[in-house]
Amino acid sequence: MPPSQLKQLKASLRESGVVGPQQSKKQKRQNAKSGVGAQNRNQRNAALQAIRDRFNPFEIRPTATTSKFEATTRDVKSTKATGRRPGVTKSLGEERRRATLLQEMNSRNKVGGLVDRRFGENDPTMTPEERAAERFARESQKKMRKESMFNLEEDEEEFQLTHMGQSLTLDGTTVDDFDGGDLDGAESDEETSRKRKRFGEDDEDAEDFIDFGEDGEDKPERKKSKAEVMKEVIAKSKFHKAERQKAKEDDDDLREELDQELPDLFEALRGMKAPAKPEPPKQDLDTMNPERAAMLREPEGKDTEKEYDQRLKQLTFDTRSKPTDRTKTEEEKVEEEAKRLKKLEEDRLRRMRGEELSDEEEVESDKDSFFQGDEDEESEVDDAAAFGLHTTSYEPRPELAVEDEDDFIIDDDLVETRSNASLSLDGSDIEEEEISDEESEEEDELINGMTLPTANGAAVSTAVQVNQTADGQLAFTYPCPGNHAEFLEVTKDVPTQDLPTVIQRIRALHHPRLHADNKTKLGRFAEILVEHVSYMANETDEPSFAIIENILRHVHSLAKTHPINVAMAFRARLREISEDRPLNLLPGDLVILTGVSTVFPTSDHFHAVTTPAHLCLARFLGQCSLNSTSDFVTGAFATSLCLQYQAIAKRYMPEFINYTLNALCNLAPIELTAKKLSFPIRKSQQSVKLAPAKKVTPRKLQFRDVKATPSDSQAEEDLKISLVTTFVSLLDTASDLWAEKSAFIEIFTPVRTVLNHLRQSFKSKVFSAARDPLQSTLDKVDAHLARAQLARRPLFLHNHRPLAIKSAIPKFEENFNPDKHYDPDRERAEANRLKAEYKREKKGAMRELRKDASFVAREKLREKKERDAEYEKKYKRLIAEIQSEEGRAANEYEREKRGRQGKR
Amino acid sequence: MPTAVDSSSSKKRKNTKNAGAPSSKRRAVAEEDGFAETLSKVQELENQIAESRKHYNNIATLISMLNVEPSAKKPELAVAVSLCRVFSRLMAAGNLSESSRDAENEKIVVAWLKERCSEYQRALLSIIREADSTSQVTALTLSMRLVKEYVTHIQGADSSIWSGLFKDIIEALVEAQDGEDVRAEFVTKFMKEYEDIRYQTFAQIAEYASTRRKTDTIEILISLLSTCDEAPSPDHEIDFENFFAKPDPNNKRLRTVHGHKRRAQDAWLAILRNNLSQAQRKALLRIMVHTIEPWFTRPELLMDFLTDSYNEGGATSLLALSGLFYLIQQKNLDYPQFYAKLYSLLDADLLHSKHRSRFFRLLNNFLASTHLPATLVASFIKRLSRLALNAPPSAIVVIVPFMYNLFKSHPTCTFTMHREIRDQKSAAEIESEGFEDPFDPNETDPTRTNAIESSIWEIETLQSHYHPNVAAIARIISEQFTKQAYSLEDFLDHTYQGMVQGELGTGEKPLRKVPVVEYQIPKRIFTDRLLEEDDGVDSGAGSFMRGLWDFSS
Repeated sequence: MPPSQLKQLKASLRESGVVGPQQSKKQKRQNAKSGVGAQNRNQRNAALQAIRDRFNPFEIRPTATTSKFEATTRDVKSTKATGRRPGVTKSLGEERRRATLLQEMNSRNKVGGLVDRRFGENDPTMTPEERAAERFARESQKKMRKESMFNLEEDEEEFQLTHMGQSLTLDGTTVDDFDGGDLDGAESDEETSRKRKRFGEDDEDAEDFIDFGEDGEDKPERKKSKAEVMKEVIAKSKFHKAERQKAKEDDDDLREELDQELPDLFEALRGMKAPAKPEPPKQDLDTMNPERAAMLREPEGKDTEKEYDQRLKQLTFDTRSKPTDRTKTEEEKVEEEAKRLKKLEEDRLRRMRGEELSDEEEVESDKDSFFQGDEDEESEVDDAAAFGLHTTSYEPRPELAVEDEDDFIIDDDLVETRSNASLSLDGSDIEEEEISDEESEEEDELINGMTLPTANGAAVSTAVQVNQTADGQLAFTYPCPGNHAEFLEVTKDVPTQDLPTVIQRIRALHHPRLHADNKTKLGRFAEILVEHVSYMANETDEPSFAIIENILRHVHSLAKTHPINVAMAFRARLREISEDRPLNLLPGDLVILTGVSTVFPTSDHFHAVTTPAHLCLARFLGQCSLNSTSDFVTGAFATSLCLQYQAIAKRYMPEFINYTLNALCNLAPIELTAKKLSFPIRKSQQSVKLAPAKKVTPRKLQFRDVKATPSDSQAEEDLKISLVTTFVSLLDTASDLWAEKSAFIEIFTPVRTVLNHLRQSFKSKVFSAARDPLQSTLDKVDAHLARAQLARRPLFLHNHRPLAIKSAIPKFEENFNPDKHYDPDRERAEANRLKAEYKREKKGAMRELRKDASFVAREKLREKKERDAEYEKKYKRLIAEIQSEEGRAANEYEREKRGRQGKR
Repeated sequence: MPTAVDSSSSKKRKNTKNAGAPSSKRRAVAEEDGFAETLSKVQELENQIAESRKHYNNIATLISMLNVEPSAKKPELAVAVSLCRVFSRLMAAGNLSESSRDAENEKIVVAWLKERCSEYQRALLSIIREADSTSQVTALTLSMRLVKEYVTHIQGADSSIWSGLFKDIIEALVEAQDGEDVRAEFVTKFMKEYEDIRYQTFAQIAEYASTRRKTDTIEILISLLSTCDEAPSPDHEIDFENFFAKPDPNNKRLRTVHGHKRRAQDAWLAILRNNLSQAQRKALLRIMVHTIEPWFTRPELLMDFLTDSYNEGGATSLLALSGLFYLIQQKNLDYPQFYAKLYSLLDADLLHSKHRSRFFRLLNNFLASTHLPATLVASFIKRLSRLALNAPPSAIVVIVPFMYNLFKSHPTCTFTMHREIRDQKSAAEIESEGFEDPFDPNETDPTRTNAIESSIWEIETLQSHYHPNVAAIARIISEQFTKQAYSLEDFLDHTYQGMVQGELGTGEKPLRKVPVVEYQIPKRIFTDRLLEEDDGVDSGAGSFMRGLWDFSS
């Protein structure tokens, strides 16, 4: 059981020393004198306050919840805090508010005012004596500061403290009980210590001075004023310093002399004379760098050293020179080229293999993006290298063994030298340039023994002549067209065979090096060319494939610098196909699809152009109509394109097999009557069966068969038999392509069925020409089938390592702290932290504002009460005054009355 | 009433005026005058009839004014409306019903009136059959009004009017020329509005379709019936307030949902028994589950139709499947050899058919049971993988996840993906001679095809499909089966068009990355350019095309 309250109080009083053994009178006096008393009083007050607080249970607010049991998730902070002291904090806040808010309130709507800047005026802990002392100290400090060496008006005192009209300065003659030396001691310690250092130990006077300063005792024999002493001291010290310096210099001179004599001394010690120093090799100077020689020759001196330093510095900052590439030999070039090609090929193979889909979840959950091709992310990585190679247009192109369209454009050096001037050239100059270009190309061609890739128009034997005459008519400058209509306008009068020349000239004139805009212009031009290719094939009845080929090669070379533009143009064509005529391809579309196969790598696993092109082809083959022979010709072209596309990647196209077999079934002279075929049969609405009257001879299919209708029935039958042979040879190639597929047997068993059927129906003599290729294809398919049967193994796909069972052990946190947030997401954690801080701050600010408001209200109320009280007082006073006056008057009246009565 | 008449007649006048489109003003005025004259005359005659009985002869005059000869395409609608009013009033006044107490001459008058009335009805029906659409609609409204008046005012005429006048109306409707409008009007204004009309219509159609009809007529009947696609639920209360005519209190069938359904069932059965064209059969099968079956109180009556359709083969079988499944599931129909039949549906055309996704949804249901024998499931898997070899990409995209799900629920079938030969002797044999595929594609019984002994090389081949996404999907069978199941619905509805659009987008969008360009520009694409440089042997890229095709022009 704790002791009673009274006992506790007594104990604590004793502890804090408030009560204790009584002090003697002497002690008391001493204390009072030295000011300890005041200090003691303060301490005592503080101690008493503390005791009061401790014993007042209302001053301390206990924690809201009493501690119960220890648990990990308990907030440690709240248990740690023993209790708050609302009274204290409240009074503190009140105090602070009184200091700030109240001031503000009072000074509101007021301008100006007095600020009490007297030292210690508002410090209640200071006694008036202390206050005076402090003021005096500050004053003298200020004065000392004025005595700095840059103060020109030393003697002038701006203001000084006075006492009874007399100055309180030290150097005055007035005798005061305050001593100057004492004041001097008020200088900051720093200053005195500095002085001490400056004076040194040897200076007796200074020593005295310091002593005197510290002792604070008066020296009656003092004659000089302080300033005088100081001056003297300074002069003395300067003199000493000069002397010391001189002595030191003398020493140095002496030492130098000695040093110079040292070798002689050594010689003397050794007792023999060294041979004369050899002269520096003069002849070297001639072969040397003249500058350096001059430097060496120059007499030793400051200049040389300086220069040397300079040079050295220059050299250190110079960039290090690199060894230049050695001119490569032919073999090396070839080897390099081979390496480059090999690398490109490897890149292509990598792209062809593609990467596996990143995750199936994505495929499944995100259907919209599914057909955008998820493997983009994957192929991005390996495409990067190739990407770099293709887009660096300014990189000097290594000389290709393969001739390149880019070679003929313009000699880079020529352009480079003129690039600045060429912008302001007039037409004739450009023409000259062109001619010179042509000439230089001609020369190049002669030197290299290569024909110009442009071949100046149609690649026919008479091209040279044609071109010469054409050159006379063709303009040398053409504007770069902005759209296809403009291009048609530009080339309106140009004969078709000169189109390549025109294109070449446009490209040369708008080479990207000539103007910054030319890059975009050429990009646009490339798109136009793509459009023009399909236009040419569609519009003209007999498109010249030499020209189309040339334009396509131009497109290809432009694609190297503008891959995006060309790809977009091709995609636009494909989009047009898929939207307008997915099942009815025009010749232009076929040409575009062929162009895709040459410009872009069709073997890529995923490619922005070739993948849709594949789909377009497959869709056409899968769903197109089979009505006339011309349909079959288009189909034959499309199927050939399919195989062309898959020449490298050898991917399987179901639509190809379906279409080819369907076509053969439809063209076969006798209908195939198998019950079960693995491919869906589509019958053509009009019969396209082979029904020749006389012998038919297969020929090579021509592109124009797509459009043209055969003139007579014999020609039609010829066309049909050529279609059959084409399809058969396509199957032949396909069987080679897909021979390695694991399902080759399943794919080609129906093929064999159909081919067998064809062979049987070709028994007639009229088909004799077609029989041989058919038989050879059949043999090949049979051979492939037999090999596939031999190579067939049961599937063995799932030799993965077994999956590890998922661990269910929870992750434990060492030193878990329930106050801390263990958020693995760093950003979220940070955000949460900020949020919490914001909340806390907001709460605090609101609380403060509320308290401020209540404080203001309280103050206002107080003021009002005061005013009211004052008024009340005044009122009462007035009432009292009147009452007393009235009372007096009443008394007087009474008196008067009484008097009158009395009189009566 | 008179005000209403006025407004309607003026409306009529406007209509005719607008329809007339007069070429000149004068003629228009003349026509207007003539019309107004007729109108006033009709009005006068009608008023006289209302005034006294001695003017009953006016009815005959009016009927003759109706102008419903087969040649006349333009009946006088105003007259028809007026006549309808006359007869309604007469019926309401009880003048058209005879009672035994009436005098002889009274009876004669009534009989005469009845005769006129039926004459008028015939006229209306012929309008419905032959006139233009606005007249048809008006005539329909008028005759339906007559029906209502009959039922309301004449005792005991209930059944006779439904089987008499209403039946005629339905017949006229069905046989009407260019009757789309009037039929639509009937459906929206009457059949969907009033449950008793619907009931009676079902009854009449059932009777009408009990004899063999032309295909076109059947078509019309089907379209009429299929508009009632929402069968009332069993706890549905027949709303008597919402009846067109006051119902006969004795007719209990009319008051129960069962009765209504019964009528509808009869009607549908009559149609199903009629001679249906192939297209109609397919159309019916398509709406079978959602529109027809709910009306049937005894769905087993559909069994014959469905099994017949199912046995037909091709797309019809596919369509019959869903109805059949409904019966099997709901009505415990026992269909022997169901899976064999289902297996036979998997033919070469299936994956190219437009009912593909419908079929796969059902197939997914049928093969969902884990109690099916593994041999059967394996047969389906193998068959589907065979078909996938010739399928469009949109079908392959369905097949592979479907197979995945099957593998997941029938782990025994995974031997078709992964088979380790442990027997030394047979392993050596396979090594020397290759693995003979034990699968028998011609076996019709799915439990005997030996598919479980085979392997799905086809899907493995499709891993090198030309379309990267299809190839990626085909690759799931050779990866670890960590996913529980694929949701088939996500894969069902892809088309070439959708795939191309997915690749190309609908508009110009910047490419996500720069497309790779073939690094080597070929020497020749179409022509034999510079062939001599390569010693006359064309071996570069595209030589294949040049070998097959002649591009010279």
